[in-house]
Amino acid sequence: MKVKLWGTRGSIPAPGPETIRYGGNTSCVGVTLSDGSLLALDAGSGIRNLGLALGGEPARLHILLTHLHLDHIQGLVFFAPAFRPQTELVIWGPASPEASLRDRIARYISAPLSPVEVRELPCDVSFRHCPETEWEIGPARIRAASVAHRGPTLGYRIDDGDSSLTYIPDHEPALGADLDQLEEDWISGFELARDTSLLIHDGQYSDAEYPDHLGWGHSATSHALAFARRTAARRTVLFHHDPLHSDAFLDQLEATAQEGWAGLGGVGKAVAIGAEGDEFELPADLRRPLATPVPAPAPSPAATA
Amino acid sequence: MSQKPLELILARNLMSALSTPAFLVDEGGVLVFYNEAAGILLGKRFEELGTVGPDEWGSMFGPFDQRGEPIPYDELPLVTAVRDGHPAHANFDIRSTDGHHHTVEASAFPILTAHGSQGAIAIFWPTAQMNGNGAAPA
Repeated sequence: MKVKLWGTRGSIPAPGPETIRYGGNTSCVGVTLSDGSLLALDAGSGIRNLGLALGGEPARLHILLTHLHLDHIQGLVFFAPAFRPQTELVIWGPASPEASLRDRIARYISAPLSPVEVRELPCDVSFRHCPETEWEIGPARIRAASVAHRGPTLGYRIDDGDSSLTYIPDHEPALGADLDQLEEDWISGFELARDTSLLIHDGQYSDAEYPDHLGWGHSATSHALAFARRTAARRTVLFHHDPLHSDAFLDQLEATAQEGWAGLGGVGKAVAIGAEGDEFELPADLRRPLATPVPAPAPSPAATA
Repeated sequence: MSQKPLELILARNLMSALSTPAFLVDEGGVLVFYNEAAGILLGKRFEELGTVGPDEWGSMFGPFDQRGEPIPYDELPLVTAVRDGHPAHANFDIRSTDGHHHTVEASAFPILTAHGSQGAIAIFWPTAQMNGNGAAPA
């Protein structure tokens, strides 16, 4: 499984000289499965470059949307394969009691926000609500689960052979909770990330910024690290950067995160700030020592009753 | 250990921050959490008790009607909410571990999601406390 970050920013694209290294495009991750099948995780503005890089291929492509906030779907109408009749596009996303996935996405891909309507897309596009149970795409097993964020929001886990990728770009598992003390079954997103090879996780705010953004649906650096530690993720990439965070700020945040990870018992460069263009090959990277597993806190009597 | 549904996780997080006694059961009626305020009311912290099956928790703390008769488990608001999927309200007495009886009003409502019922939450409001003999304290 190969993973490439095409957009690492949250909220709104933030292009400019001050964000040139970590990138200004909003959330999109490309995943090439072991049989060559391609998935796109979210369709922020980063998916535009993914589409351009594909050329005329592939004929079939799955887009897995975590939720429908604009920074996760705004690239859809600029995704070149969607405008080719030979493309078969399958868009997965969270169910909502209010309207179908197609109708909710059509609010964006319609006038006056868009020059084209969903029905006018020349590709063969279908919309599917993610099932509660695991399903398969090519050689991969896909799992989706609701996670703590504003509105219906999913995290994903993709298992392909011996490697696994967990993608939870918008997540506030520490809202009203102490991640160091909670039993694991009470931690949002835990099963998605348990022992995963690569965790791509929300790290929008520094610890100093978080108190002013409590309940906004995003994590502070220390929360993301605590989540990674509890789930025993082997490698963690902090993602969904705040648009105000410059390259210099993110450099500093990475140093802080790696220091914090070392303080939690981690080793090496197992924690990094995701940068647009970063590529990961799984499981080849797993042969390197990435992190020392850190035992979870002893469960309370309630957890064992 | 299977992952709790997000709705129960969020409910627990909210309840943990409340000073109003609150109980949480899963879709099977298992008592999966109550908050500190409820622990004070019952005389036992949830961490000491742990999860309790539906056959047990209904009788652990009473409850009793105004005549002191035990209220059948099936008639409790929390059970109605999780079983029938609609809110329920009742007044009754509960007995804490120190033997005191508390008269409470309880409102329960189901936690319904796109995937069906995930459980129910009940908020308790103590209206009076009596000693172990059923008399109000002097």
